[in-house]
Amino acid sequence: MIRNAFSRALVAGRAGFLQLAPQSASVAGCRHMSKVAESDEQLTARYVQYFESKDIDHWWLSKHINDLAGTDAVPEPDIIKACLHACRRLNDIAMAVRFMEIVHFKCGNRVKEIYPYVLQEVGPTLKELGIPTPEELGMDKPQLALEDVYDM
Amino acid sequence: MEHASEFVTMASFAVGSVVRRCGRLAGGAARLSTSARALGGDGMPAIIERHGKREVIGYGYNGQPNYIDRVDYPIPAVRFKEETPQIKALREKEKGDWKNLTKEEVQELYRATFCRTFAEIQAPTGEWKLALGGTLIACSLAIWVYIWMKLFVYDKMPATITDPQRVEAQVQRMIDLRMNPVQGVASNWDYEKGQWKN
Repeated sequence: MIRNAFSRALVAGRAGFLQLAPQSASVAGCRHMSKVAESDEQLTARYVQYFESKDIDHWWLSKHINDLAGTDAVPEPDIIKACLHACRRLNDIAMAVRFMEIVHFKCGNRVKEIYPYVLQEVGPTLKELGIPTPEELGMDKPQLALEDVYDM
Repeated sequence: MEHASEFVTMASFAVGSVVRRCGRLAGGAARLSTSARALGGDGMPAIIERHGKREVIGYGYNGQPNYIDRVDYPIPAVRFKEETPQIKALREKEKGDWKNLTKEEVQELYRATFCRTFAEIQAPTGEWKLALGGTLIACSLAIWVYIWMKLFVYDKMPATITDPQRVEAQVQRMIDLRMNPVQGVASNWDYEKGQWKN
C-alpha cells in the first residue's frame, strides 16, 4: 500500500517535472506578450495624451493624478505641464497646486536634485497660468494643525 | 491589555481622524440617498451618503464619496468643504485669469477642496512619545510584578542552590558519574590529575 503510494507519487512527480519545463516556458512567453514593457517615453506620451484630451473631466483628472501618485516615479515635466493645463481648462487651481505638491512629494529623498529641475522646466507654464507654487503659498511647512478627534 | 488596545487605536487614529471629522462636519446634513443607484432592491436606501452638498469629483480610494488625506491617493472623492456663497463667488473668479487671484484666495480655494497640505499630512504627530512612554510604563509594571512575586509568592530558594557545600557535592557527583563527557561537566574534568582542565 505504502509502496504503491510512493511509486505513484514518484511517477506523478516525474511527469510533473517533465511537463513543467516546456509548459512554463510557453506560459512565460504568453505573459510576456500580453504585457509588453512600456518605455518611459511611451508612458509620458500616454499621460500627456490623457491630460490633453478635450473631454477630460474632474473624474478622469483625479484618476490620472492618483495613478501618477501611485507610480514609483517623478512625473516628467511634459506630463506636469499637460496636467496643469488640464486643471486650467477645468478651472481648478486647487488641483494644480495639489499636483505640484504631489510632484514635490514624489521627488522623495532626492528632492533637492529633482525639484529645482522640475521647477526650471515647468516654471514658464506656472507663470503663464498664474499658478503659485506650494512654496510661494507657504505650504512647504505645516500651516494649520488638525485636532485629533480623541482630544476633542 | 489596555496599553495594547491603545497602540491599535493610535495606529488607526491618523486614518480615522479626517474621516470622522468629515463625518462630524456633515453630521447635520447626513441623509439617506434616494437616488436610483443608491436604492436597493426593495426600495430601502443601500448607501448612506454623508457627504452633504460636497461636490463629488472622483472615484476616491474605495469608490465611496468620502474624504481622506492620503499621500499615495492624494485626490479624494469629494471636495472637503461644502459649497458656500463665498466659495461659489471665488469659483466664479477662478474661471477668469488665475493671475488675478491673490495668494489668500488661492489658499482658500485649496482649503475648500483639500483638508490638509502634504506638509501637514507628513508633519510629525509626536505620537511616538506616547508609544514609547506607554511601553516603558508597561515594562516597569512587569518588573514590579516580578518583585512582588519574588517577595510574596515564591518560596525561598532551596538549600541545594543556596548552600555552597551541597552545590559542590552535586558537582562532584556529576563528575563521578561522568555526566556529559563530550561537551558538559565531565569533559572539563581531568580524571588523571583529579582537577579541572584549564
